[in-house]
Amino acid sequence: MSTSCGNPTVEKDALMPRRRKFDRTKTCIKCKDNQGNVTIRHAVYCKECFFPMLNQKFKRSLEPTINPIPDGPRKKNLYPPGNLLIAFSGGLGSTVLLDLVHKGYVASRKPREDADAAVRKKDPKNEMVWKEVHVCYVEVCGAFPAMRDRTEDVRRVVESYDGFKFVPLRVEDSFDTKWWESVGGKPDKGELRVDITNEDLILLPSSNATSPLSALHTYLSSLPAPTAIPTTLQTLTRLLLLHTARATSSSHFLFGTCLTSLSVSLVSLVAQGGGFNIKEEVQEDWGGEGGRQAVRIVRPLKDIVMKECAMYAWWRGLEVVGQEVWPDARQGIGGITKDFIVGLEKDYPSTVSTITRTCAKLAPKETPAGICTLCNRPAQGHVQDWKTRISIRSLSPSLASPQQPSLAPYLCYMCHTTLTSKSSKKPSSGSSSAGGEEGNEVPLPLWVGARVRRMEREEMRDKVKEFLLDKEEEEEGYAEPI
Amino acid sequence: MSEDQILLKVEFGGGLELLFSNEKKHALTLPARVPADNSTSPAPSEKETKPLDIAYLIHWLRDHRLKERAELFMENDTVRPGILVLINDTDWELEGEGGYEIKDRDEIVFISTLHGG
Ligand SMILES: [Zn+2]
Ligand SMILES: [Zn+2]
Repeated sequence: MSTSCGNPTVEKDALMPRRRKFDRTKTCIKCKDNQGNVTIRHAVYCKECFFPMLNQKFKRSLEPTINPIPDGPRKKNLYPPGNLLIAFSGGLGSTVLLDLVHKGYVASRKPREDADAAVRKKDPKNEMVWKEVHVCYVEVCGAFPAMRDRTEDVRRVVESYDGFKFVPLRVEDSFDTKWWESVGGKPDKGELRVDITNEDLILLPSSNATSPLSALHTYLSSLPAPTAIPTTLQTLTRLLLLHTARATSSSHFLFGTCLTSLSVSLVSLVAQGGGFNIKEEVQEDWGGEGGRQAVRIVRPLKDIVMKECAMYAWWRGLEVVGQEVWPDARQGIGGITKDFIVGLEKDYPSTVSTITRTCAKLAPKETPAGICTLCNRPAQGHVQDWKTRISIRSLSPSLASPQQPSLAPYLCYMCHTTLTSKSSKKPSSGSSSAGGEEGNEVPLPLWVGARVRRMEREEMRDKVKEFLLDKEEEEEGYAEPI
Repeated sequence: MSEDQILLKVEFGGGLELLFSNEKKHALTLPARVPADNSTSPAPSEKETKPLDIAYLIHWLRDHRLKERAELFMENDTVRPGILVLINDTDWELEGEGGYEIKDRDEIVFISTLHGG
């Protein structure tokens, strides 16, 4: 019996003519002994060899990201600087992820001790890698009428494992000051609203408090197109999770995105003008500003296809409680892309990995100008332009909107598009009324206001500094921002 | 077991059972020879026949067990992309896919992978 792992001959296939689903024989390519039970991208595995193969792919993606500084060739002990958060949707990928994490890093391990590194080196295999593991689920049923609340199904799955702490959230928590305070936010200044009839997205102070759920409904119904709803819910969910990661002192945050769904999200990201963030869709570090512990977002199933997840879940007897298919999602860009990728994977099983590899090469060389206040991802542009935009739009008087700060300059291209285009819904009222009537005022997720205020303060500080340094220029009535 | 009947077990997983009255397991008895064109309504006897195979089973399940939304189960005369088929715990891609001839007491599993991440 051979243990050589041997890179299965999956990479260099000729693409278009349909190949047989497996090469040469039906014998397992690992043990070269058993009859195969499954073909994965033209490679045949028996059931026994399938599990170690999958586990190896999982660990190979995850472990190099665990230590703050990547290891060289020599493997060191795993020593993450914080806890672990797992995003759980109830879908196939995150169900498999939960099981792999539990088997690999939680089950039959002792609690992690706070010994110093010298002591830890002795026998780290017996200790949990992360001190605490939280599993967070964001229920989106509040966004759709008559959608079933799955929180209790999900709780049952999560609590069937020992060692996981369950954190249930709801998507409307994005507008809930109680949640915001629970993750360390300060809602003291009140929430912000935005007037969506104007492309500048004029900011207004919040007037009367509404319930988080009705704030969510107002927000979603203000979106210009129904196809913007899935994107928006994804962003809200992602930010709820990220703030939860910070609040649980997690240094690592895992998504159960497999190769197939990663390809779907990369392609739909590009289709929606989010190409600038293609790198972040695979792996990103979030929230490290101001000396805080950054949260590293990792997708350890990124080399595993949907079929492998399905086989793993089936053979391990895992309960997949499922994920609701959102209304409009199948017609949206995401749904169409998904049908395309899944079809491609069936007929040309090795093509899908080419998509993610190609996308990875498309990562922009430009340094990001700033962080989008809504999705918190790097925003495109030059730092100078970004700052100019912000200072001109938000602080300087302009003819169109006297003294009114606007949200537009604080948004990345994709978020701005999601909120504004194509406003055919309200064609005439938009341009003329700068103020915004009651009905056009839309509440913003709480992190947006917090970031806008912080950036305004920083901008103000810069202004003051400039004023002190460049008095002459200021006296001419024109100040060039930095 | 009579020679012209085949006894088989069908199981649905990954949420696919929702299309089949939420029943995961189905015990079936099907004729050993079936119409070559996969038509599953009572056939005139002179029709060309073939041994019972997976392709026929897929059509039979759609016509006689599926309760809703056939397009989520079938596409282009076979199962929809994203649905896996196991024959006695082995990927049908290793067994000839739709052309696999079903034997007495075979266990066929259909699993949907479309429930996302
Ligand atoms: Zn083997
Ligand atoms: Zn954004």
